[in-house]
Amino acid sequence: MAHSDEAAAERFRHIVVPHLADALSLARWLTGNGFDAEDVVQEACVRAFSAIQSYDGRGERAWLLSIVRNTCFTWLAKNRSRNLVLMGTPAELSEAQGAIHEDLALDPEADLIRKADVTLIEAAISSLPQPYREVLVLHDINDLSYKEIAAMMSIPIGTVMSRLSRARKQLAAQLGQATQ
Amino acid sequence: MKRISPADHLLLHALADQELDAAAALPLEARIETDPALADEYARIVALKDRLKGLPKQEVSQDFAARITAIAGGKSSSGRARILSLDHVDWRALAACLVLTALLASAGTYLVTAPRSDAAIEDEIANDHHRSLLASSQTDVLSSERHTVKPWFDRKLGLSPPTIDLAGEGFPLVGGRVAVVAGNAVPALVYRRRQHLITLVAMPQSAGQDQVETPHAMVVDGYNTVHWAAGGFKYWAISDLDADELESFVTALGAR
Repeated sequence: MAHSDEAAAERFRHIVVPHLADALSLARWLTGNGFDAEDVVQEACVRAFSAIQSYDGRGERAWLLSIVRNTCFTWLAKNRSRNLVLMGTPAELSEAQGAIHEDLALDPEADLIRKADVTLIEAAISSLPQPYREVLVLHDINDLSYKEIAAMMSIPIGTVMSRLSRARKQLAAQLGQATQ
Repeated sequence: MKRISPADHLLLHALADQELDAAAALPLEARIETDPALADEYARIVALKDRLKGLPKQEVSQDFAARITAIAGGKSSSGRARILSLDHVDWRALAACLVLTALLASAGTYLVTAPRSDAAIEDEIANDHHRSLLASSQTDVLSSERHTVKPWFDRKLGLSPPTIDLAGEGFPLVGGRVAVVAGNAVPALVYRRRQHLITLVAMPQSAGQDQVETPHAMVVDGYNTVHWAAGGFKYWAISDLDADELESFVTALGAR
């Protein structure tokens, strides 16, 4: 095997593989489910591997996540463009809210409450408008900085900030801890 | 309760995210100490962030990690053994395999780097229009009331195109939906002419760009299509209406 191939494989293992969890969670939020997320991330990793020799090595997590993001959009356009906004409808949200009350009534165990809380939060995130959801997930779940998100989405930092604050405001309102 | 200004709002979020430098953070922290409204809001932001932090971490199955590692040429423990025993490999098969890999890799690179032409966009728009005709409902928000459709787009996408009802001109507004074009979620308005539907896709131009293009007609996948750009949006009107009627629709919209 040529030396450069081995070097590429080595870089791939050090740069891409450690961030698979982040890649999967972003893909899950953008596609709406875990199975699709694995397919998308696998495709993104193939792209990442073919581009790894020309990658300058800075901000590796942001680099991988921006490939995942692009792959998600190509994938969504190809596979189910109409479903993109259909997840997280108000009906689903109230269903999730119903579930939390049922769970609480059936069994007051702490981890059940936690599980129901997770469902509730996830439904609320899903129901955010797509541009807000994306910024919120990139920042609050994937831990990217304002600057990294601005570069990835080609938008000014001010737009990242206002989308994030609007996303959190909506989320807080849905979760019943209204800000303002 | 005293209202917090939008600028202060952004600053509070930035402070909670540790995105402020000391020069901006210190005075804000001092104000939080003396202003209960700011302190409350800041506490709510931090509480929401904590709640999000409490979400379970994404798990990566071993199986999936192995599949990804294999992309780089399979150096997982089982892959290593196979690579080291190259003397058992049929070299002709290996050569063919390498050629195929090179072909696939260059095709992949092409797909990643190929610029998106408007022709590709028009195909996507035609597909979207076609799919919408097959779907049980052609709109995500069904309303002839433009004051309902516009805020719906605002909520869904954070932007909304000019929404004009043309019922008076014989093209009533049916509703709106979201189309995905060139990797972006963009608003699509749906109008009706007798039993024909017209999809009007409005793609925002990138910041700083405000091209104006005069309408030109074409046929994409058998649908009459008119494309133009104005007022910060690129528009595509697509329908199975005949070309003349589609043109009068575009004229009624006031495309310039």
